[in-house]
Amino acid sequence: MSIEVSNLSFRYGDIRALDGVSFKLGEGAVGLLGPNGAGKSTLLRILLGFLSPEKGEGTVLGYDIRREQAAIRRAIGYMPEDDCFIAGMDAVTYTAYFGELSGMPRQEAMKRAHEVLFYVGLEESRYRLLDTYSAGMKQRLKMAQALVHDPKLLFLDEPTANLDPQGRVEVLELIGDVASHKDIQVLLSSHILADIETLCASVVILNKGKLAAEGRLEDLRTVDYSLFEVRVKGEDGAFRRDLEALKCRVEETEDRLIKVYMPAGMDRGEIFRAASRTGVQVRQFVKSQTKLEDLFAQVVGVD
Amino acid sequence: MATIREKGYYHWDGRLEARRFPWWPITRTGIQLAFKKKWFKFVFAAGFAPAVVTLVLIYISERLEDFKSMFGGKGQLITVNPKFFMDFLTNGGLVFIIVMVLVFAGAGLIADDLKHNSLQVYFARPLRKNDYLLGKMAVIFFFVLLLTLVPAIVLYIFKLIFAGSFRFVVDYPWLLLSVAGFSAVLTVFFAFYTLLLSALSKNSRYVMIIVFTVYLFSQILYGIINSIRGLHGPGTALVSIYENLLQVAAFLFGQKPPHAVHPGWSFLILAAVCVASAVVLNRKIRGVEVIR
Repeated sequence: MSIEVSNLSFRYGDIRALDGVSFKLGEGAVGLLGPNGAGKSTLLRILLGFLSPEKGEGTVLGYDIRREQAAIRRAIGYMPEDDCFIAGMDAVTYTAYFGELSGMPRQEAMKRAHEVLFYVGLEESRYRLLDTYSAGMKQRLKMAQALVHDPKLLFLDEPTANLDPQGRVEVLELIGDVASHKDIQVLLSSHILADIETLCASVVILNKGKLAAEGRLEDLRTVDYSLFEVRVKGEDGAFRRDLEALKCRVEETEDRLIKVYMPAGMDRGEIFRAASRTGVQVRQFVKSQTKLEDLFAQVVGVD
Repeated sequence: MATIREKGYYHWDGRLEARRFPWWPITRTGIQLAFKKKWFKFVFAAGFAPAVVTLVLIYISERLEDFKSMFGGKGQLITVNPKFFMDFLTNGGLVFIIVMVLVFAGAGLIADDLKHNSLQVYFARPLRKNDYLLGKMAVIFFFVLLLTLVPAIVLYIFKLIFAGSFRFVVDYPWLLLSVAGFSAVLTVFFAFYTLLLSALSKNSRYVMIIVFTVYLFSQILYGIINSIRGLHGPGTALVSIYENLLQVAAFLFGQKPPHAVHPGWSFLILAAVCVASAVVLNRKIRGVEVIR
């Protein structure tokens, strides 16, 4: 297990940021999801050792989060959400500097800095002062400093924030490449569900400091409910109420497509029986692939 | 022959080691960045002027026969003794240049990291708060000691060379300790003083002004209080950073203090600034800004 936490709790004064969170993360890229104030950043900060948990235990790559923080920080790479650079430095010096602080010999750090800057696409501007970098270049630079010491686990906090669409695609490709081919595990915290869906096989969803859902995306999509998209002819109000009475969650889009979230184990024939009971005609019936957005709405309880 | 690699990610085949001095890269980088600043090299070079003048004075004192005509045939005009070394280290010009060096090399040490959110990247490394602070302090140690302790020792050696005997060592066997002790007081005080002010703002230009102004204002305040009838007294010197340093220097060099106040008070005031700085630094320096 790369990360294992048990009953993790933390509070900022009277505000409880994490409340008894427990999960185990295995291999590959994992998405950390949740609305604002859900506790994502607090969780990352506890895993990095910036904050000490009020209660609970945990390990990162087998190292205890309370007692072996130095070993954890040596083994992980962290790409923070905020812009962070050192004024008056160029990218090579900056990247090598943090490699050295991670425990690399000076010459090795410098050599490696060139390699990772090539990898993240900053080869042309690696001698430019960081003060002159654009938002996209700063994101890449943060990625370079996180990768310079060849970490086993990478924490990425909102890696595509403040990027234009093209920059976002490029950074996602980079993360995808690291996560899929380089034997580096990635924990990706993001508000952008599409990013997580593109890159991650598993997710941890936090809500109000508690664990709302955790596991492989495929399993979460299928185990808890099935999603059907239905179009009917006739007055659909009674039809929808009938389905809701059967414990289905029903949503209707602007173009009158009805999304039916059916609890696990329920027979799909119930939709046709409800239609028959309420006198509507089913014109379209498709079993839909649930999106992360649907899952998120389902577990967090927001539309 | 080295392998020609394609552009792409490669694992690093080295081994990460726990450093014996994890603060050293911070210090080295801080020193390099200081020399990249526009006016710093000139200010720093000017810091050696008092040492050069003092060296000339030592030479003249030992070759007085050659220079008698310059001084109208007077006998012992310059005496090289502990007071001479104390005067070199407490020279107003030298202390002023040290403050200017701190303005250029020290003001941004923490302020820039706060402004550019760099602390979280530092502390995502196997680095403790003490390592970070020691790394930053050592930048100031480097510059201040290079302008005080190093020239003082060089002057001491030249005094022996010019004199051609070890009589000076025999006469003042404790002098080097006094030099080292006062240089240490000066260095530690200015390190805490600068980092305290640097940690209080995210704007390094603002910190530059404050570092300079607080030092100068304390001296001006002393002058004002001293000139007001009724407030005038030896204790008024305690409001001035420079006068407190003079008091401490007099104690360490075994000289009569310039003000009729026990030098222990000056030690206490300088130590209080250091303690206040340590408290502020402990609160401000953390990997994450926690807003409660």
